[in-house]
Amino acid sequence: MIMQLDAFQALADPTRRRIVETLLAGEQQVADVVAKAGIHQSGVSRHLRILHECGFVSMRPDGQRRFYALQPAPFRELEGWLAPYRELWEARLDRFGAALEERSKQRRAREAKEGKKRS
Amino acid sequence: MNTAAEAQRGSVVIERNYRANIADVWDLWTTKDGFESWWGPQGFRVEVSELNARVGGALRYEMIADTPEMIAAMKQMGSPASHAVTSRFTELAPRERLVITNVIDFIPGVTPYENRIAVDFKVQGAQVRMVVTFEAMHSDEMTRMQREGFTSQLTKLDKRFGSAA
Repeated sequence: MIMQLDAFQALADPTRRRIVETLLAGEQQVADVVAKAGIHQSGVSRHLRILHECGFVSMRPDGQRRFYALQPAPFRELEGWLAPYRELWEARLDRFGAALEERSKQRRAREAKEGKKRS
Repeated sequence: MNTAAEAQRGSVVIERNYRANIADVWDLWTTKDGFESWWGPQGFRVEVSELNARVGGALRYEMIADTPEMIAAMKQMGSPASHAVTSRFTELAPRERLVITNVIDFIPGVTPYENRIAVDFKVQGAQVRMVVTFEAMHSDEMTRMQREGFTSQLTKLDKRFGSAA
């Protein structure tokens, strides 16, 4: 029994990140993950077990085979953590948009003036 | 599923589309008056003392509390109402991409580190697509975060991301 990790600890490991990235393509068996992620089978099985325990990955048995797929809940947790940052930067870019609007207006006025001079 | 990739790096990716001239979009990041016209978190304004838009070029500015509420809040925290920020343009391809690297060395109890903001620009017809990638760590927003009690959360996160960095 290993200690339950939270979403950030689970993804702090580069091998587990690679496995999660591999599973972005959809549900897969261990052998497929091994082939695509280029990690040894024993490592993949261990990390899949950890990801399963953290809720990142579901396991669906089908006869002798086991299929692994990503689950949304921990990603929501990550998204929730990032949300305040996103809001702060969205607000900044709103100001960027307003400043750009002002600049564009000045450009149009300038170009109209130059156009008039030329004609 | 952008979130997984973002969370790994502790970064936030925001995309905006503008019906505007690429020169104006670019100038907002790379000229003194452009930068001053929008940069800075809510409640602050900036005064640029140096902006040298080339690779390795310096970007220095003073971040100044600009509303009575923010000035009062800074005073309450025992922080000066303004502080100097030193950044560099560490990547620069005119009207295509730039990276601003900030040296975060003003947070008590936090080892100085670098924080990057990457911006990619693409002209699509009459539109400009701008993709901004912010590292969601300390930044200029720190003062506001402190006020809102985010500090302890961030310290925890530093430790969590420590092994991933």
